[in-house]
Amino acid sequence: MPPIIRTENLTKRFGNFTAVDHLNLEVNEGEILGLLGPNGAGKTTTILMLATVIRPTEGTAYVGGYDVRKNPDKVRELLGVAFQEPKLLWVSTPWDVVNWHAKVCGLSTQERKRRVREVLEALDMWDYRHRSVHALSGGMRKRVEIAKVLIQRPKIAIVDEPTAQIDIVGKHKIWRMLRELREEGTTIILATNELYEADVLSDRVGIMHRGKLLVCDTPQKLKDSIVGGDIVEIQFESDPSPKIVEELEHFREVVKIIKTKASTLRLYLNRVEEVVPKIMSTLMKEGVAVSSIRMSEPSLDDVFAHYTGLTLEEAQKEGG
Amino acid sequence: MRHIVHILENDFRNFFRYKWWLVGLISMNLTDLFIMAIVYNRMLNPAIIQQIKSYFNFFAPGLTVTGLFASAFMIGREVNMEKRREVHQYMLSLPMTRFELAFGRVLSGGLRGMVYMSPLLATCFVFVGLPTLEQFLVILVVLFFLAMGISGLSIAIAVSTKSLDKFVTARGLVYYLLFFCSSVFYPFSLIEQLGREGKFPMFLVAFARANPLSNASDLIRSFLLGTPPFSPEMIVSVLIFSAVFTTFAAFAYIKLIERA
Repeated sequence: MPPIIRTENLTKRFGNFTAVDHLNLEVNEGEILGLLGPNGAGKTTTILMLATVIRPTEGTAYVGGYDVRKNPDKVRELLGVAFQEPKLLWVSTPWDVVNWHAKVCGLSTQERKRRVREVLEALDMWDYRHRSVHALSGGMRKRVEIAKVLIQRPKIAIVDEPTAQIDIVGKHKIWRMLRELREEGTTIILATNELYEADVLSDRVGIMHRGKLLVCDTPQKLKDSIVGGDIVEIQFESDPSPKIVEELEHFREVVKIIKTKASTLRLYLNRVEEVVPKIMSTLMKEGVAVSSIRMSEPSLDDVFAHYTGLTLEEAQKEGG
Repeated sequence: MRHIVHILENDFRNFFRYKWWLVGLISMNLTDLFIMAIVYNRMLNPAIIQQIKSYFNFFAPGLTVTGLFASAFMIGREVNMEKRREVHQYMLSLPMTRFELAFGRVLSGGLRGMVYMSPLLATCFVFVGLPTLEQFLVILVVLFFLAMGISGLSIAIAVSTKSLDKFVTARGLVYYLLFFCSSVFYPFSLIEQLGREGKFPMFLVAFARANPLSNASDLIRSFLLGTPPFSPEMIVSVLIFSAVFTTFAAFAYIKLIERA
């Protein structure tokens, strides 16, 4: 199946500053693609170009088969966008905002009323629906922004930092609703600088830095791409013999072994979930007593650092 | 077409959010009319009063046009605010064509002006005189086109100015130029006379003659008071102004707002 979104050397320059630099990206139908990167990485500019809000300086993108340059009207019919900063006039009320949005998107009166109520209730915004936007907290405004897309249920949803400023309970609700949206057939582009959010929601993650796409793959494959990124710490009941260490070194997934304490070995390896059962069966065969085993895998932060040489925090500072 | 109706709905909802403020403004306009009529009738040069008969009758159509101008111009303030708060990005992402969006904004600005102006026009009819049905329809059509032109002009200024300060300054300049170089407050014959006497620059006399506010006010006066005499130029001037600024605003809205 051809990708539902494809960008070809998509570039946006503002004067001398290149916000998005020859971006080549493919999004498959029905997936959640996380665009991960610090502020200033080019995520929002990419989204604005895909949504036909701004025109690319160079290159183009195809959304649902339509060129954003040549058929922007057709592109907009497929899209729903929840912006990073809630786009609301302060005199409006949540009800007016989402109800009008649903009307513009062509929902029938009955369907519109049902969905507006359903989504506002699910987002705990029903009781505040007639309050002016200026009287709402930042998190509440953000909920109104995401509600637009959840009510619209577009073929392609673009959500830019959907849970920024939202409390942890709210975050989980929104994540669940985004997953449900995907299950109903919507393709989702999720722009975020929250590693955990990208990890738990995305089928694939694209890492952006300085306007470029550095890498794009499943979170697991990205983590596995760090050689020796997984760590297994084994504590033995007595000192492990050199023969045991030698046997462990024979596993091709094991990159490095360090003896951290007299009876503890730290193994740097790949594909921890596959190799640990094999290690355990070797140790049992050799009759070696193990008192504890602890495993950890790299996070997307490690992946980001691996590809950029910076932690996300450092990149955030660099990007302003 | 469906989306133009949606734009109208949204803009009218925002307009009526300030309903009590609007009621206050209309009341102030009417108070101005009645107070100015009494005071100016006694202050003005008798030669001018002889020309216009009663300042109340002369000013009521002018006030209707200035009310229309001020209210149709309000859409520009909203567009400018949307641009500063980046709400325009949301508008541009909606599933409608750029034409529907731009024309919808200009049209709603114009129609809002017509709604605001209607009590002022009704006051004219009650106190100055009733037009025939044909004259009434001509007045409505001309004022509608004028409102569209004003709405377009305000949107063009709104998308071309980055800050509220600049927008307000530009709006002030346009107000002063269009209000004071017009026959809204004083008869055109007086402006011409001042021009001939060298007390008013001739290019501003020419501007006042072409000014759509002058022509719209004089059109109402010609139908209700019989003076100045009706001339097709009154309608043509408004139509040209409307055509130019409606087109220009739609173009500017699409081009400049995408770059903002």
